[in-house]
Amino acid sequence: MNKGGLRPTMQTEATPAQADVSELDLVRRCQAGDTEAFDELVTRYRTRVFSMIYNMVHSEQDAWDLAQDSFLKAWKSIKRFRGRSSFYTWIYRIVMNVTIDWLRKKHIKGAGAEFDDAIQLRQVDPASKTVPKKEALPYETMQRDEIRTRIEQAIAQLSPEHRAVILMKELEDMQYHEISEALGCSIGTVMSRLFYARKKLQNLLRDVYENV
Amino acid sequence: MKTFEEKWTAWLDGQLTGRELSEFEASLPDRAAAEAEKANAKQLGELLKREFGARTLTNEEFFSHQLREKIKQERFESSAGFASGRRKNSSWWTIPRLLWAGTMSLALFLVCMVLVMQNEKPADESQYLTQILNARVDPVISPNATVSIFEVKQDRVTVLWTEGLQSLPADYAAK
Repeated sequence: MNKGGLRPTMQTEATPAQADVSELDLVRRCQAGDTEAFDELVTRYRTRVFSMIYNMVHSEQDAWDLAQDSFLKAWKSIKRFRGRSSFYTWIYRIVMNVTIDWLRKKHIKGAGAEFDDAIQLRQVDPASKTVPKKEALPYETMQRDEIRTRIEQAIAQLSPEHRAVILMKELEDMQYHEISEALGCSIGTVMSRLFYARKKLQNLLRDVYENV
Repeated sequence: MKTFEEKWTAWLDGQLTGRELSEFEASLPDRAAAEAEKANAKQLGELLKREFGARTLTNEEFFSHQLREKIKQERFESSAGFASGRRKNSSWWTIPRLLWAGTMSLALFLVCMVLVMQNEKPADESQYLTQILNARVDPVISPNATVSIFEVKQDRVTVLWTEGLQSLPADYAAK
Protein backbone atom coordinates (compact mmCIF):
# COMPACT_ATOMS: atom_id res chain seq x y z
CA MET A 1 0.00 0.00 0.00
CA ASN A 2 1.23 3.37 -0.85
CA LYS A 3 1.57 5.52 2.22
CA GLY A 4 0.47 9.01 1.55
CA GLY A 5 1.80 9.21 -1.97
CA LEU A 6 -0.33 9.40 -5.04
CA ARG A 7 -1.66 6.08 -6.16
CA PRO A 8 -0.37 5.17 -9.59
CA THR A 9 -3.84 4.48 -10.96
CA MET A 10 -5.37 7.55 -9.47
CA GLN A 11 -6.25 10.44 -11.69
CA THR A 12 -6.29 13.77 -9.95
CA GLU A 13 -6.66 17.32 -11.09
CA ALA A 14 -3.18 18.18 -9.91
CA THR A 15 -0.80 19.84 -12.30
CA PRO A 16 2.67 18.26 -12.54
CA ALA A 17 4.03 20.93 -10.21
CA GLN A 18 1.34 20.21 -7.68
CA ALA A 19 1.89 16.50 -7.96
CA ASP A 20 5.50 17.04 -6.90
CA VAL A 21 4.27 18.03 -3.50
CA SER A 22 3.64 14.74 -1.80
CA GLU A 23 0.26 14.06 -0.42
CA LEU A 24 1.74 13.28 2.95
CA ASP A 25 3.45 16.68 3.07
CA LEU A 26 0.16 18.34 2.31
CA VAL A 27 -1.55 16.33 5.00
CA ARG A 28 1.14 17.25 7.55
CA ARG A 29 0.68 20.90 6.66
CA CYS A 30 -3.09 20.55 7.02
CA GLN A 31 -2.58 18.99 10.43
CA ALA A 32 -0.61 22.08 11.39
CA GLY A 33 -3.60 24.20 10.35
CA ASP A 34 -2.51 25.21 6.86
CA THR A 35 -5.71 25.81 4.92
CA GLU A 36 -3.86 26.38 1.66
CA ALA A 37 -2.51 22.84 1.80
CA PHE A 38 -6.02 21.56 2.35
CA ASP A 39 -7.20 23.66 -0.57
CA GLU A 40 -4.67 21.86 -2.73
CA LEU A 41 -5.93 18.47 -1.61
CA VAL A 42 -9.47 19.59 -2.36
CA THR A 43 -8.42 20.68 -5.83
CA ARG A 44 -6.90 17.26 -6.44
CA TYR A 45 -9.91 15.25 -5.40
CA ARG A 46 -13.01 17.44 -5.69
CA THR A 47 -14.13 16.11 -9.08
CA ARG A 48 -13.66 12.46 -8.15
CA VAL A 49 -15.41 12.93 -4.86
CA PHE A 50 -18.26 14.85 -6.47
CA SER A 51 -18.57 12.31 -9.26
CA MET A 52 -18.71 9.37 -6.86
CA ILE A 53 -21.34 11.04 -4.71
CA TYR A 54 -23.32 12.05 -7.76
CA ASN A 55 -23.45 8.45 -8.94
CA MET A 56 -24.75 7.47 -5.53
CA VAL A 57 -27.43 10.14 -5.12
CA HIS A 58 -28.25 11.19 -8.70
CA SER A 59 -28.73 14.82 -7.81
CA GLU A 60 -26.21 17.52 -8.63
CA GLN A 61 -27.27 19.79 -5.80
CA ASP A 62 -27.22 17.03 -3.21
CA ALA A 63 -23.90 15.76 -4.51
CA TRP A 64 -22.47 19.26 -4.23
CA ASP A 65 -23.67 19.64 -0.64
CA LEU A 66 -22.51 16.17 0.38
CA ALA A 67 -19.10 16.75 -1.19
CA GLN A 68 -18.83 20.01 0.75
CA ASP A 69 -19.83 18.23 3.96
CA SER A 70 -17.33 15.46 3.31
CA PHE A 71 -14.43 17.84 2.77
CA LEU A 72 -15.43 19.89 5.79
CA LYS A 73 -15.51 16.75 7.92
CA ALA A 74 -12.14 15.75 6.52
CA TRP A 75 -10.73 19.13 7.52
CA LYS A 76 -12.14 18.83 11.02
CA SER A 77 -10.70 15.37 11.52
CA ILE A 78 -7.46 15.71 9.53
CA LYS A 79 -5.47 15.52 12.77
CA ARG A 80 -6.69 11.96 13.24
CA PHE A 81 -5.27 10.88 9.87
CA ARG A 82 -2.31 8.62 10.68
CA GLY A 83 -1.15 7.87 7.15
CA ARG A 84 -1.86 4.16 7.36
CA SER A 85 -3.71 4.43 4.06
CA SER A 86 -3.58 6.94 1.25
CA PHE A 87 -5.36 10.22 1.79
CA TYR A 88 -7.77 9.31 -0.96
CA THR A 89 -8.82 6.07 0.71
CA TRP A 90 -9.19 7.95 3.97
CA ILE A 91 -11.35 10.70 2.49
CA TYR A 92 -13.31 8.09 0.58
CA ARG A 93 -14.30 6.58 3.87
CA ILE A 94 -15.63 9.94 5.02
CA VAL A 95 -17.41 10.44 1.71
CA MET A 96 -19.04 7.03 1.94
CA ASN A 97 -20.11 7.53 5.54
CA VAL A 98 -21.63 10.91 4.76
CA THR A 99 -23.38 9.68 1.62
CA ILE A 100 -24.66 6.39 3.02
CA ASP A 101 -25.96 8.18 6.14
CA TRP A 102 -27.71 10.70 3.92
CA LEU A 103 -29.24 7.97 1.77
CA ARG A 104 -30.45 6.08 4.82
CA LYS A 105 -32.01 9.22 6.23
CA LYS A 106 -33.67 9.98 2.96
CA HIS A 107 -34.99 6.42 2.72
CA ILE A 108 -34.52 6.22 -0.98
CA LYS A 109 -36.58 3.34 -2.21
CA GLY A 110 -38.16 2.44 -5.49
CA ALA A 111 -37.42 3.70 -8.89
CA GLY A 112 -37.00 7.25 -9.94
CA ALA A 113 -38.27 8.90 -6.79
CA GLU A 114 -35.07 10.77 -6.12
CA PHE A 115 -34.10 11.75 -9.60
CA ASP A 116 -33.96 15.33 -10.52
CA ASP A 117 -35.19 15.70 -14.07
CA ALA A 118 -33.77 19.16 -14.32
CA ILE A 119 -30.22 17.90 -14.07
CA GLN A 120 -28.23 18.12 -17.23
CA LEU A 121 -26.18 14.98 -17.09
CA ARG A 122 -22.75 15.54 -18.46
CA GLN A 123 -19.99 13.16 -19.14
CA VAL A 124 -16.37 13.93 -19.59
CA ASP A 125 -15.27 13.30 -23.09
CA PRO A 126 -11.52 12.65 -23.00
CA ALA A 127 -11.09 14.17 -26.42
CA SER A 128 -13.30 17.17 -25.89
CA LYS A 129 -10.42 19.57 -25.37
CA THR A 130 -8.67 18.78 -28.64
CA VAL A 131 -11.43 17.78 -31.02
CA PRO A 132 -14.50 19.87 -31.74
CA LYS A 133 -17.40 18.21 -30.03
CA LYS A 134 -19.73 16.35 -32.30
CA GLU A 135 -23.30 17.14 -31.44
CA ALA A 136 -25.38 14.03 -30.88
CA LEU A 137 -28.53 13.56 -32.88
CA PRO A 138 -31.75 14.16 -30.97
CA TYR A 139 -32.65 10.49 -31.29
CA GLU A 140 -29.26 9.43 -29.92
CA THR A 141 -29.54 11.86 -27.05
CA MET A 142 -33.00 10.61 -26.21
CA GLN A 143 -31.89 6.98 -26.36
CA ARG A 144 -28.88 7.67 -24.18
CA ASP A 145 -30.96 9.53 -21.61
CA GLU A 146 -33.33 6.59 -21.53
CA ILE A 147 -30.51 4.14 -20.92
CA ARG A 148 -29.05 6.32 -18.22
CA THR A 149 -32.42 6.59 -16.54
CA ARG A 150 -32.75 2.80 -16.60
CA ILE A 151 -29.34 2.42 -14.99
CA GLU A 152 -30.09 5.04 -12.37
CA GLN A 153 -33.35 3.35 -11.54
CA ALA A 154 -31.63 -0.01 -11.24
CA ILE A 155 -28.90 1.40 -9.01
CA ALA A 156 -31.52 3.13 -6.89
CA GLN A 157 -32.93 -0.29 -6.05
CA LEU A 158 -29.68 -1.33 -4.42
CA SER A 159 -29.02 -0.69 -0.76
CA PRO A 160 -26.59 2.18 -0.07
CA GLU A 161 -23.85 -0.32 0.81
CA HIS A 162 -24.31 -2.39 -2.35
CA ARG A 163 -24.48 0.78 -4.39
CA ALA A 164 -21.21 2.01 -2.91
CA VAL A 165 -19.42 -1.27 -3.56
CA ILE A 166 -20.44 -1.67 -7.17
CA LEU A 167 -19.67 1.93 -8.05
CA MET A 168 -16.29 1.84 -6.37
CA LYS A 169 -15.40 -1.37 -8.14
CA GLU A 170 -16.78 -0.70 -11.61
CA LEU A 171 -16.30 3.04 -11.91
CA GLU A 172 -13.32 3.71 -9.71
CA ASP A 173 -11.51 0.43 -10.38
CA MET A 174 -10.73 0.19 -6.70
CA GLN A 175 -9.24 -2.99 -5.30
CA TYR A 176 -11.15 -5.08 -2.76
CA HIS A 177 -8.90 -4.00 0.10
CA GLU A 178 -9.30 -0.34 -0.83
CA ILE A 179 -13.08 -0.67 -0.86
CA SER A 180 -12.99 -2.50 2.46
CA GLU A 181 -10.89 0.29 3.96
CA ALA A 182 -13.17 2.95 2.57
CA LEU A 183 -16.29 1.25 3.86
CA GLY A 184 -14.82 -0.06 7.08
CA CYS A 185 -15.77 -3.69 6.45
CA SER A 186 -13.97 -6.92 5.64
CA ILE A 187 -12.79 -7.91 2.17
CA GLY A 188 -15.14 -10.89 2.34
CA THR A 189 -18.07 -8.56 2.93
CA VAL A 190 -17.00 -6.42 -0.03
CA MET A 191 -16.87 -9.48 -2.29
CA SER A 192 -20.17 -10.76 -1.05
CA ARG A 193 -21.86 -7.39 -1.56
CA LEU A 194 -20.34 -7.18 -5.00
CA PHE A 195 -21.78 -10.58 -5.84
CA TYR A 196 -25.34 -9.61 -4.88
CA ALA A 197 -25.12 -6.11 -6.38
CA ARG A 198 -23.96 -7.54 -9.71
CA LYS A 199 -26.63 -10.22 -9.71
CA LYS A 200 -29.35 -7.66 -9.10
CA LEU A 201 -28.08 -5.25 -11.73
CA GLN A 202 -27.65 -8.06 -14.23
CA ASN A 203 -31.26 -9.05 -13.73
CA LEU A 204 -32.50 -5.49 -14.01
CA LEU A 205 -30.34 -4.35 -16.90
CA ARG A 206 -29.81 -7.47 -18.95
CA ASP A 207 -31.92 -6.18 -21.85
CA VAL A 208 -30.10 -2.85 -21.79
CA TYR A 209 -26.54 -4.06 -22.09
CA GLU A 210 -27.43 -6.88 -24.46
CA ASN A 211 -29.12 -4.50 -26.89
CA VAL A 212 -26.81 -1.51 -26.69
CA MET B 1 -12.58 -20.40 4.04
CA LYS B 2 -14.12 -18.36 1.26
CA THR B 3 -17.82 -18.55 0.59
CA PHE B 4 -19.15 -19.32 -2.87
CA GLU B 5 -20.06 -15.65 -3.36
CA GLU B 6 -16.53 -14.56 -2.56
CA LYS B 7 -15.00 -17.13 -4.87
CA TRP B 8 -17.43 -16.27 -7.66
CA THR B 9 -16.65 -12.55 -7.37
CA ALA B 10 -12.92 -13.23 -7.34
CA TRP B 11 -13.29 -15.49 -10.36
CA LEU B 12 -15.32 -12.87 -12.19
CA ASP B 13 -12.69 -10.22 -11.52
CA GLY B 14 -9.84 -12.52 -12.48
CA GLN B 15 -8.51 -12.65 -8.94
CA LEU B 16 -8.46 -16.42 -8.62
CA THR B 17 -5.18 -18.07 -9.53
CA GLY B 18 -3.41 -21.41 -9.36
CA ARG B 19 -5.00 -24.25 -7.49
CA GLU B 20 -7.82 -22.09 -6.20
CA LEU B 21 -8.84 -21.25 -9.76
CA SER B 22 -8.72 -24.80 -11.04
CA GLU B 23 -10.61 -26.08 -7.99
CA PHE B 24 -13.30 -23.47 -8.39
CA GLU B 25 -13.72 -24.05 -12.11
CA ALA B 26 -13.90 -27.77 -11.52
CA SER B 27 -16.63 -27.25 -8.95
CA LEU B 28 -18.85 -25.34 -11.36
CA PRO B 29 -21.79 -27.53 -12.43
CA ASP B 30 -22.23 -25.79 -15.78
CA ARG B 31 -19.02 -24.24 -16.95
CA ALA B 32 -20.51 -22.79 -20.14
CA ALA B 33 -23.30 -21.04 -18.24
CA ALA B 34 -20.79 -19.67 -15.76
CA GLU B 35 -18.62 -18.30 -18.57
CA ALA B 36 -21.69 -16.67 -20.10
CA GLU B 37 -22.49 -15.13 -16.73
CA LYS B 38 -18.93 -13.85 -16.49
CA ALA B 39 -19.18 -12.22 -19.89
CA ASN B 40 -22.50 -10.77 -18.83
CA ALA B 41 -20.97 -9.20 -15.73
CA LYS B 42 -18.20 -7.72 -17.85
CA GLN B 43 -20.80 -6.18 -20.16
CA LEU B 44 -22.54 -4.71 -17.15
CA GLY B 45 -19.28 -3.21 -15.91
CA GLU B 46 -18.59 -1.70 -19.32
CA LEU B 47 -22.08 -0.28 -19.50
CA LEU B 48 -21.74 1.33 -16.08
CA LYS B 49 -18.37 2.77 -17.01
CA ARG B 50 -19.66 4.14 -20.28
CA GLU B 51 -22.89 5.62 -19.00
CA PHE B 52 -21.82 6.50 -15.49
CA GLY B 53 -18.43 7.96 -16.19
CA ALA B 54 -16.92 10.86 -14.32
CA ARG B 55 -19.28 13.79 -13.86
CA THR B 56 -17.89 17.21 -14.30
CA LEU B 57 -18.03 19.45 -11.34
CA THR B 58 -19.31 22.70 -12.69
CA ASN B 59 -17.95 25.82 -11.01
CA GLU B 60 -14.98 24.05 -9.50
CA GLU B 61 -13.49 27.28 -8.24
CA PHE B 62 -16.73 28.25 -6.59
CA PHE B 63 -16.81 24.84 -4.94
CA SER B 64 -13.38 25.46 -3.42
CA HIS B 65 -14.28 29.02 -2.52
CA GLN B 66 -17.42 27.91 -0.72
CA LEU B 67 -15.46 25.28 1.16
CA ARG B 68 -12.78 27.81 2.13
CA GLU B 69 -15.48 30.08 3.49
CA LYS B 70 -17.01 27.23 5.48
CA ILE B 71 -13.63 26.30 6.94
CA LYS B 72 -12.97 29.94 7.79
CA GLN B 73 -16.36 30.18 9.47
CA GLU B 74 -15.80 26.91 11.30
CA ARG B 75 -12.39 28.05 12.56
CA PHE B 76 -13.84 31.39 13.65
CA GLU B 77 -16.70 29.71 15.47
CA SER B 78 -14.47 27.21 17.20
CA SER B 79 -11.99 29.90 18.26
CA ALA B 80 -14.79 32.25 19.33
CA GLY B 81 -16.48 29.44 21.17
CA PHE B 82 -13.25 28.55 22.93
CA ALA B 83 -12.56 32.18 23.87
CA SER B 84 -16.08 32.82 25.10
CA GLY B 85 -15.98 29.55 26.98
CA ARG B 86 -12.74 30.57 28.63
CA ARG B 87 -14.08 34.05 29.38
CA LYS B 88 -17.22 32.54 30.74
CA ASN B 89 -15.31 30.17 32.95
CA SER B 90 -12.85 32.67 34.29
CA SER B 91 -14.98 35.80 34.55
CA TRP B 92 -17.44 34.92 37.31
CA TRP B 93 -15.26 33.21 39.92
CA THR B 94 -12.88 36.04 40.54
CA ILE B 95 -11.38 36.33 44.02
CA PRO B 96 -13.47 39.38 45.07
CA ARG B 97 -16.61 37.59 43.93
CA LEU B 98 -15.61 34.47 45.77
CA LEU B 99 -15.06 36.51 48.93
CA TRP B 100 -18.34 38.32 48.50
CA ALA B 101 -20.22 35.08 47.94
CA GLY B 102 -18.56 33.49 50.96
CA THR B 103 -19.39 36.43 53.21
CA MET B 104 -22.97 36.56 52.05
CA SER B 105 -23.38 32.84 52.61
CA LEU B 106 -21.98 33.11 56.13
CA ALA B 107 -24.23 36.06 56.97
CA LEU B 108 -27.26 34.21 55.66
CA PHE B 109 -26.31 31.18 57.71
CA LEU B 110 -25.98 33.25 60.89
CA VAL B 111 -29.34 34.97 60.34
CA CYS B 112 -30.99 31.60 59.85
CA MET B 113 -29.34 30.26 62.99
CA VAL B 114 -30.58 33.19 65.09
CA LEU B 115 -34.09 32.82 63.72
CA VAL B 116 -34.14 29.11 64.41
CA MET B 117 -32.82 29.57 67.94
CA GLN B 118 -35.38 32.27 68.71
CA ASN B 119 -38.23 30.12 67.51
CA GLU B 120 -37.13 27.09 69.47
CA LYS B 121 -39.44 26.56 72.48
CA PRO B 122 -37.71 25.99 75.81
CA ALA B 123 -38.21 22.52 77.20
CA ASP B 124 -40.74 22.16 79.93
CA GLU B 125 -39.08 22.33 83.27
CA SER B 126 -39.32 19.39 85.57
CA GLN B 127 -41.86 19.57 88.27
CA TYR B 128 -39.22 18.38 90.75
CA LEU B 129 -36.86 21.15 89.74
CA THR B 130 -39.50 23.79 90.35
CA GLN B 131 -40.18 22.37 93.74
CA ILE B 132 -36.55 22.19 94.78
CA LEU B 133 -35.86 25.68 93.53
CA ASN B 134 -38.77 26.93 95.54
CA ALA B 135 -37.59 25.07 98.60
CA ARG B 136 -35.37 26.88 100.93
CA VAL B 137 -32.25 25.46 102.44
CA ASP B 138 -32.07 26.66 105.97
CA PRO B 139 -28.48 27.82 106.56
CA VAL B 140 -28.89 27.26 110.26
CA ILE B 141 -30.06 23.70 110.01
CA SER B 142 -27.90 22.75 107.05
CA PRO B 143 -25.00 25.16 106.89
CA ASN B 144 -22.96 23.08 104.42
CA ALA B 145 -25.84 22.16 102.14
CA THR B 146 -25.29 22.49 98.39
CA VAL B 147 -27.75 21.83 95.64
CA SER B 148 -26.51 21.25 92.06
CA ILE B 149 -28.67 20.84 89.03
CA PHE B 150 -27.60 19.05 85.85
CA GLU B 151 -29.98 19.42 83.00
CA VAL B 152 -30.00 17.79 79.56
CA LYS B 153 -32.77 19.53 77.73
CA GLN B 154 -32.76 17.44 74.56
CA ASP B 155 -33.36 14.30 76.56
CA ARG B 156 -35.64 16.12 78.97
CA VAL B 157 -33.59 14.89 81.93
CA THR B 158 -32.64 16.87 85.01
CA VAL B 159 -30.38 15.48 87.71
CA LEU B 160 -30.57 17.13 91.10
CA TRP B 161 -27.50 16.59 93.21
CA THR B 162 -27.84 17.54 96.90
CA GLU B 163 -25.13 17.38 99.52
CA GLY B 164 -25.01 18.29 103.23
CA LEU B 165 -28.76 18.36 103.79
CA GLN B 166 -29.84 17.39 107.27
CA SER B 167 -33.34 16.63 106.16
CA LEU B 168 -35.51 16.81 103.05
CA PRO B 169 -38.80 18.66 102.96
CA ALA B 170 -41.46 16.41 104.35
CA ASP B 171 -43.63 16.41 101.21
CA TYR B 172 -40.74 15.95 98.73
CA ALA B 173 -40.77 12.18 98.73
CA ALA B 174 -44.49 12.22 98.03
CA LYS B 175 -43.91 14.09 94.83
